[in-house]
Amino acid sequence: MKRIQLKVNGKVYEVDIEEDMRLLDVLRDKLHLTGTKEGCGEGECGACTIIMDETTVNACMVMAFQGEGKEIITIEGVKGDHDLHPIQRAFLEEGAVQCGFCTPGMVLSAKALLDQNPSPTRKEIREGISGNLCRCTGYNQIVNAIEKASQYLRGEETKE
Amino acid sequence: MKLEIVGENVIRVDGLAKVTGKATYPQDLYVDDMVFGKTLRSKKPHAFVKLDISKAEEISGVIKILTYQDVPNNHHGVLFKDHQVFCSKKVRSIGDSLAFVIATSEKAAEKAVAAIEVTYEEIEGVFDPIEAMKEKAPKVHDDGNILYHYKLRKGDAENAFEKCDVVVEGEYKTSMVDHAFLQPEAGLAYKEGDTIVVCAATQYPHFDQLEIAEALQLPLEKIKVINTAVGGAFGGREDITMQIHLALAVKVTGKPVKTVYSRQESFEAHSKRHPMIMYYKTGADNNGKLMAMEAKIIGDTGAYASWAINVLRKAGVHATGPYEISNVKVDSYAVYTNNPFAGAMRGFGAVQVPIGHEQQMDMLAEKLEIDPITFRLMNCFKVGSRTATGQVLEESIPLQKCIEEVAKAMDFEQKLEGAV
Repeated sequence: MKRIQLKVNGKVYEVDIEEDMRLLDVLRDKLHLTGTKEGCGEGECGACTIIMDETTVNACMVMAFQGEGKEIITIEGVKGDHDLHPIQRAFLEEGAVQCGFCTPGMVLSAKALLDQNPSPTRKEIREGISGNLCRCTGYNQIVNAIEKASQYLRGEETKE
Repeated sequence: MKLEIVGENVIRVDGLAKVTGKATYPQDLYVDDMVFGKTLRSKKPHAFVKLDISKAEEISGVIKILTYQDVPNNHHGVLFKDHQVFCSKKVRSIGDSLAFVIATSEKAAEKAVAAIEVTYEEIEGVFDPIEAMKEKAPKVHDDGNILYHYKLRKGDAENAFEKCDVVVEGEYKTSMVDHAFLQPEAGLAYKEGDTIVVCAATQYPHFDQLEIAEALQLPLEKIKVINTAVGGAFGGREDITMQIHLALAVKVTGKPVKTVYSRQESFEAHSKRHPMIMYYKTGADNNGKLMAMEAKIIGDTGAYASWAINVLRKAGVHATGPYEISNVKVDSYAVYTNNPFAGAMRGFGAVQVPIGHEQQMDMLAEKLEIDPITFRLMNCFKVGSRTATGQVLEESIPLQKCIEEVAKAMDFEQKLEGAV
């Protein structure tokens, strides 16, 4: 047993962990931030994508103690002025959400991309979500949503 | 009538919960004092099996290990009750459930699963459905391996082939496919008074309720199934996986019990798309009119029937494709093997046959020296067409328009000119 400090979504948590716990286990089982999903446990599917110090990581591939001293953002920490972040709004409007299990990871990959590149091309968007598998949509609606979100974030009106 | 939804852009009802991470899938459920379950699965495809759970029971944290002896009525299955909740004597495929360990932690449950001593006495298995159809093949279940034969006869195919100017034949195979929905199976069950509540992501909550009640020999109203958010299904959540295990665990221990499958266990636990072997013979006259078709379709349903009957019937019904043919003979079969079991997956048998009938169309078009688009337009279903099963299509059949649009989109005319 070991006690660590984690900063998640701006809040500092003191948690007791076992040394072999993954960051994903701490987020879900200890902090009950269950928006971070486990789809494969081996870094293939991206359902557990979170942002750690501005970079996306698979929380199933990071040991809990490695999260110490880092700024961690999970889906629970993604919010906008009117509650919904523009990325989330665009996902809803474009029908980019179906079963929803990939959605939190997709939103975080989109956020990390748009934080660094506010005007990505469609190819760059596809690269940005290349670590996230979706079995429902076929990806087109997700790419459309991220493109639309980039317009929202730049303050542009989108044609409806 | 004013339409409020049709034609409008509507935001899905559960979209907000899903996009904010608040949607609750079964693995997201946590209750006080819950314990954990873990399934022991067969590593062999065909064997007599004996378990020794004595060492596993001694492991600290283990509450109970369920085996076939604990199941009041050890059968389930959507069409045939050919699945055992836990195998009693024999395993029929890799991944068959043998035991369910209930422990105070997931780690203790995993440790106990590894400590159960399994003695396999291997039996010759059968993995090729053609072999499995032979009389001397190893039997997967007590009766023969052919569990279903669908026959379709229209006109007189044999006679009609003699009058055809061109006939083509082919053998086609499709492979086994997994749904690979993104949310691995998970569930939580608990007691509410004397009712057992099972929370799972399922395509079939009312049928799950019935199957749990039958296996546990409890009245239907004492079982409640709550469908959580479902992380994709595509047909792969139409059969029971952990629902009966959890309900039984609650009945025996009285505690809330949770189980979460890994991706690997998910692959072992649910159905697959039926691999099919299809023999096709199709004939037409010199004018390009389809005259006769004969097909034999063999579907490998693996160790359990699941929806095999519906799937192979649908494959047979759709064997002609969307073309009008006066003389048709189709035989489709569902066959048991020791492969992973096959069941529902998007299209339910209708998606395998186009691999056959469309290749036949291309080969016929080539022989007739008619371009493949024109050949399809000459024979495709229109309003008033009669299908091989005798159905007269009376309403919207926009296939002709669809083929024309596809041809336009792919610049077919231009490509054809270049090719000739």
